[in-house]
Amino acid sequence: MRPNNTNIPNTVLSRLPDWLGGIIGSTRGTAAVNEPDALPEKEPLAAAVAQPEERAIECPAAPVQVESVVDEMLAQGRYALLLRPQLIQNVTRKQLARTRTALSEGMCLVPEGQVVIRRNAAPEETEQERPASEGPSLRCEAYFLDRYPVSNAQFYQFVASGGYEHMAIWDPEIWPALLDFVDATGHPGPRYWHEGRFPRGEDNHPVIGVSWYEALAYSRWTGKRLPTDAEWVKAGSWPVSIQGHPLLLRRYPWGEAMDRGRANLWGSGPGRTVSIYEFPGGVSVGGVHQLIGNVWEWTADAFVPEGIDAAGATLQAKMKSIRGGAFDTYLDSQATCHFDSADVALARKHNIGFRCAISMCDLTVIPEESVEGLQEEEDQVETSFAENQT
Amino acid sequence: MNRGVALELDSMRLAHYGNQIPCLICDEGNTLDAENCRNCYAPLILAHQARSKNTAPVMFAALGPSGVGKTVYLGMLLDMLSRQPKHLQLSARGGFSVTLQQSTLAALSRCEFPSKTPNEPDRWNWVHCQLRSSKHRQPVEMVLPDMAGEALFEEVDHPRSYRVIHALLGRCDGVMILIDGTKLQTGSIDEDYFTMKLLSHLTETSGGAKTPWATRPMALIFSKADQCESCFEDPAAYAQRHAPGLTRICQQRFHRHRFFAAGVAGACAMRHVRGEGEQLVPLRVEPRGIIEPFEWLVENLPT
Repeated sequence: MRPNNTNIPNTVLSRLPDWLGGIIGSTRGTAAVNEPDALPEKEPLAAAVAQPEERAIECPAAPVQVESVVDEMLAQGRYALLLRPQLIQNVTRKQLARTRTALSEGMCLVPEGQVVIRRNAAPEETEQERPASEGPSLRCEAYFLDRYPVSNAQFYQFVASGGYEHMAIWDPEIWPALLDFVDATGHPGPRYWHEGRFPRGEDNHPVIGVSWYEALAYSRWTGKRLPTDAEWVKAGSWPVSIQGHPLLLRRYPWGEAMDRGRANLWGSGPGRTVSIYEFPGGVSVGGVHQLIGNVWEWTADAFVPEGIDAAGATLQAKMKSIRGGAFDTYLDSQATCHFDSADVALARKHNIGFRCAISMCDLTVIPEESVEGLQEEEDQVETSFAENQT
Repeated sequence: MNRGVALELDSMRLAHYGNQIPCLICDEGNTLDAENCRNCYAPLILAHQARSKNTAPVMFAALGPSGVGKTVYLGMLLDMLSRQPKHLQLSARGGFSVTLQQSTLAALSRCEFPSKTPNEPDRWNWVHCQLRSSKHRQPVEMVLPDMAGEALFEEVDHPRSYRVIHALLGRCDGVMILIDGTKLQTGSIDEDYFTMKLLSHLTETSGGAKTPWATRPMALIFSKADQCESCFEDPAAYAQRHAPGLTRICQQRFHRHRFFAAGVAGACAMRHVRGEGEQLVPLRVEPRGIIEPFEWLVENLPT
């Protein structure tokens, strides 16, 4: 299933060279990258992959400006942008190998398939009484999901590069509210930061105090997007389809029974956020960590409160779906792969963070062995160049 | 022989009838097998259980207008304190003492708020429990009723209309006064007036008490603070900004008071119920600031 906003990052990407140059130029003073003409013409990398032998010899070193931009994007965790068809031509083979490594370390592939989006239990029934397979079945296309929630350190890259000032990555409807997206000291940034910086020692904690719009802007800045409800549920419940049987879905990423030792929930953790690398036992089948507990996660979808309200509900404001439970989630039944809660899209809460996704079809697919081959050849070229120098 | 034994037991029962049991709340004498006090309708099981310990239980009351969240607050508090293995623990004395937390959590897990507490005192949930804390060497017996807000304000407006409330306020050791934080934020002055009336009533009821209300601990809790998050940052400043009358009366008449903020639902949505109109429903349960007011009351119990 493709989310509705898949095209939005592409729209932004079409404008990317202008504002990307602006970011780099403002922080580093390299005005040359603002000019598209300054970028050297290179052969498409896909062609290079098809003919590795020829490319290995004549591979030119990328000009310093382009290389530094790409390196900076890699350092900022924006590797997904570099794998977009529009940008991949500007990436050297070595950088491509690094980009692929970053992708495989940072994201997990969730295969295509069916998933059931269960709404919450109706008032007259309990969560335990409902089979997990009950509900409308949707098809998800293959996509990559962040292995961990976005951390303070990662979000800092966005703040430090002026992400709050680049209007192209923000929905126009939210522009009037942008000035309100400030930290405790009035600097642009998450609500609980001070002076544009996250609390000391919490670089690996999930970023909190961000609205849905800030999460969306960050995801666009990294070339990704927010996962849909169906994608999020699929990554956690990891459905198995057996011919002639209902879809098998897990209630929790680790199985059917709650195990509080695997997630940071009320009573099982310190009562606040912990590092995104803690509670490794809660990992999903596909390798996604902390889907349950630590922080709720914004998804791309609007909240539809079907289960709690058979007679129809009126929401107080635009509400967006959140999933997974947080460090203060009290009930086990509300910390499952299927439980759906929500908050106002502008809310900047102490227990809501997010993680990003990207559709498989939005990335340029290059066989891994081709890149490894290219990498070895490039290393050989570099070694011989170094030997000649000495 | 059987007949003789039966006669002996009957005489025992008659003797017990003569020896009346005083109600724990109003001290009125009641027959041994009565379920509720004939004067105030408080359950006599409290008196039976208290007699077995030979110490008068500590009494706390949760006060506030109807719909402010007293039942949710008390139910959540009891459930949290009975589940957490920390320095403050509550253990229920008798099955009836678990009913409040059970019904509250059952409703919340269905994404509903518990139904309104009825006005009749014999239908209220009373909790009798043992408190274990680092401050007390021995477990402390404690009684907490979940009173109806409408009954409470009937008593405030017409003193002695609810004898159980009158008696309870006269002898309870501390109070938790709940104030709807969201209503204050929207500029409603009703909450300010409600609480001022309640505080004035408390001042007047403490005439004959051993410890006047001026020195009894009073926790003023802004409920539903999850929907007005600035409450959490500085509850006292929030009170100063949104309830100046209440702040002044507290400073003048109550020496041991403190403002708190508490929330149970992380977010809410409105639901339309046929015949009842719009109803607020909780979208999740994430208690915040629930234990702190109670902990402060326990620490400030008169010695």
